Amino acid sequence: MKKRLAALTLCFAMAASMLAGCGEKEEDDNKELVLYTWEGLFPQEVLDGFEEETGIKIISSNFDTNETMLEKIQQTDGKDYDIVVGDDYIIEQIVKNGLAKKLDKTQISNFGNINPLYQSQFYDPDNEYTVPHGAGIPLIVYDPAQVDFEIKGYEDLWNPKLEDKIAMIGSYRAVNGFVLQTMGKSMNEEDVQVIEQAGEKLKELAPNIRMIQDSDTQNALLNGEASVAYLYTSQVTAALAENPDLKVVYPEEGLGFGIMNLFIPKNAPDELNAYKFLNYILEPENAAKCFDALGYYCTTNAADDLVNPNLVVPDSVKKGEIVQNVSAEANEAYEKNWTEFKAACD
Amino acid sequence: MEKKKRSGLFLTVAPLYIFTLVFVAGPLLYMIALSFATNSDGWGTLWKFTLENYKKIADPVYLKSFSQSFQLAFTSTICITLLGYPFGYFMAKQSAKWKKRIMLLIMVPFWTSSLIRMYGWIILLQAKGVFNTLLVKLGIIEEPLKILYSYPAVVIGMIYALLPFMVLSVYSSVEKMDWSLVEAARDLGASRAKAFLTITLKLTLPGLLTGVILSFVPSMGLFFIADILGGNKIVLVGSVIQDQLTRGSNWPFAAALAVVLMVLTSIMIYLYRKITHVKDLEGFF
Amino acid sequence: MRKKHKLSGIYLAVLLLVMYLPIVMVVIFSFNESKLTASFTGFSLKWYETLWHDRDIKEALFNSILLGVISCAISAVIGTLGAVGMARADYKTKGMMEYLSTVPIMIPEIILGMVFLAFFSLLNLPFGMTTLVIAHTTFCIPYIFMMVKARLVGIDRSLEEAARDLGASQIRTFFDITLPLIMPAVLSGSLLAFAMSFDDVVISIFVNGPRLNTLPVKVYTQLKTGVTPEINALCTIILAAIVLVLGISSLVQKRQERRRGELSER
Repeated sequence: MKKRLAALTLCFAMAASMLAGCGEKEEDDNKELVLYTWEGLFPQEVLDGFEEETGIKIISSNFDTNETMLEKIQQTDGKDYDIVVGDDYIIEQIVKNGLAKKLDKTQISNFGNINPLYQSQFYDPDNEYTVPHGAGIPLIVYDPAQVDFEIKGYEDLWNPKLEDKIAMIGSYRAVNGFVLQTMGKSMNEEDVQVIEQAGEKLKELAPNIRMIQDSDTQNALLNGEASVAYLYTSQVTAALAENPDLKVVYPEEGLGFGIMNLFIPKNAPDELNAYKFLNYILEPENAAKCFDALGYYCTTNAADDLVNPNLVVPDSVKKGEIVQNVSAEANEAYEKNWTEFKAACD
Repeated sequence: MEKKKRSGLFLTVAPLYIFTLVFVAGPLLYMIALSFATNSDGWGTLWKFTLENYKKIADPVYLKSFSQSFQLAFTSTICITLLGYPFGYFMAKQSAKWKKRIMLLIMVPFWTSSLIRMYGWIILLQAKGVFNTLLVKLGIIEEPLKILYSYPAVVIGMIYALLPFMVLSVYSSVEKMDWSLVEAARDLGASRAKAFLTITLKLTLPGLLTGVILSFVPSMGLFFIADILGGNKIVLVGSVIQDQLTRGSNWPFAAALAVVLMVLTSIMIYLYRKITHVKDLEGFF
Repeated sequence: MRKKHKLSGIYLAVLLLVMYLPIVMVVIFSFNESKLTASFTGFSLKWYETLWHDRDIKEALFNSILLGVISCAISAVIGTLGAVGMARADYKTKGMMEYLSTVPIMIPEIILGMVFLAFFSLLNLPFGMTTLVIAHTTFCIPYIFMMVKARLVGIDRSLEEAARDLGASQIRTFFDITLPLIMPAVLSGSLLAFAMSFDDVVISIFVNGPRLNTLPVKVYTQLKTGVTPEINALCTIILAAIVLVLGISSLVQKRQERRRGELSER
């Protein structure tokens, strides 16, 4: 009996001491850099290289969506992390809400290595806050052995021959966007009526949809579940690596593209280390390693000669359109289109 | 004496009371408050009272997601009960050694990532997967079956994820059952079926109820199964809420959906309890 | 009677077999050379090698185990005491309280995660192990609480009364009579709760801290960029570890039993 009580007390004491221990912050000796990124954004090789060169220990944590990241940065007032990654549209919010720190460019000698094509965008017109790290263009990929006609653009996805054959990413704005592009409109259409028309057209696509998934979508194409897929750039790269016979389509109606950016939160604990890191990954060799591992288009043009040639931006990107934030009203219409579309696929 | 007993009792429930009030009631009130707030243009929430969020739920698209969720939860719970009750029952009748072994066998998969186990199902069910290859080779079918990304695939995933809850609850209930009652009934001439229905089932009802609740409730929210195995083609409330919280960035609307979902689930449980006449769990609502 | 016994055995075996099928697939494909699950291209141990060099994953695994054990221990104490107390007491607030404490498993996880995030920052709690433990404890309690409660319903209270009549203190009655009777439920509840905590993605992703990744969060975020067999390898290792621990514990138990047997023979 007594033994049991003792064990119980011990358990409690242990739990309490552990809790207390974990609550305490580790001592800050300026030898740390806290990253908050997508999983696998930087290859281990690059991280190790940085640690070795500078003696700074990297601590990384991950998030699943841009919105989780925004919420976390907002709630913690940006004081837990040194470097954070985010997509273009969310960066606009970050900058607007004053959560990003103005970069001290004298600290980043390699700032000039960045491809200007990806700079001066709507979220950061004067390039004060961000360092682009990879660009993506969702593209159509198909297996010519399974499809008996040539796919040239988005419009072909509605072809009845593709019934129950298309795998698609779950990006509601990208999908709404390409429907609008087939109608000759902008991906960032604000007119709710036009968006609703696009919704009707999107619903007609439903019978052709095999599955909608945001992660690992290329797998459906590779394992024979689907014969056509609308994929993110990294997925296109992954699919091609496994099956070089697949055909990639740059849709004739136009492209949508997105840019990932790194920024330093306004209350970052180790600002100087963050600069060192940004500078490090802007070195051509390191940048090339990053993009090769990541499979996104290279945004550091100094690395263009070193990186996988498939990842050097094709000319068509210049005609691309970036998905931007729209009014709450329009966003709601997009959201509704998407929900209705998914329900229609059932 | 009586007073001492009461204070002793209070000490046992105090931790639960305090913890629940601070970390459950608190966040819950926050959620309810949020459901009446206004979504601001762009990001963030305005603390201005509105009923808009609830009005919006009446839209057919969102109503459909509720009915889809309930339909799926019902289908899954019924399958789980039909499969799990006999399992728990038979398990409790095994020898002590086997009981322990089976219990462990049920728990082991639980300790590995459920996401990965779902991917295990994909490997099994995909067009070029083990299951289809086997059937084709045996000459049972000519073309691979399209099982993946369909309703049955989602139900399989649900059953797979939630069956252990039912089994464990039924098991613990059957295990401590007083078998002499069944014997007495049999001695009095009741058929095996009748003895089961009137005695066993009744005595194990609390366990069954726990099992039903533990499978019904999570199946309302387990949208990642509909995502991975169903290819996102079945729109569940859970995924609508997820969309609203992330992409739609409409927290108040998401909170309103959650409040409605919570109320509906509670009503279902209340009705179920009324119908089965389980008095022992009277305090549940 | 004999035949019926056999039939029930077959039923148990078949269902268990089906439960293990996907896991067998995961294990097999952890040895696959190709990254894809479409076909088995050849035996390889390279994914185990990648895993071995993955510092983050090892750290995440440790965090997850720690988190599971702590939240389970706290929930087991709070949940069990609560269930026992509730069964005896007749507070007016009892029904309400019982309902409230089960709410965390009645609402979609994502809502809970987001609300916790907002609530914890309102309380100014630093994000990290503390917030994770609190969040996990809230959804672990209901499992233990409900299991114990279902068990308490059928327990013969005359045993406790007899013990009290014989002069045992309340605490003593609890430990000597009540606890052994409800122990199976406490155990199965805790095992379930641990499994839930060890597998939770959605809530953890919102309340984890900058220096902390749990294993499921790591796996989930990795899935975003494509499933690699590295995760399959990890799953296989965890399974192997569990089987190993179970094997050792049953061996030890057997030995103890044998020794006990020898002692009693003497």
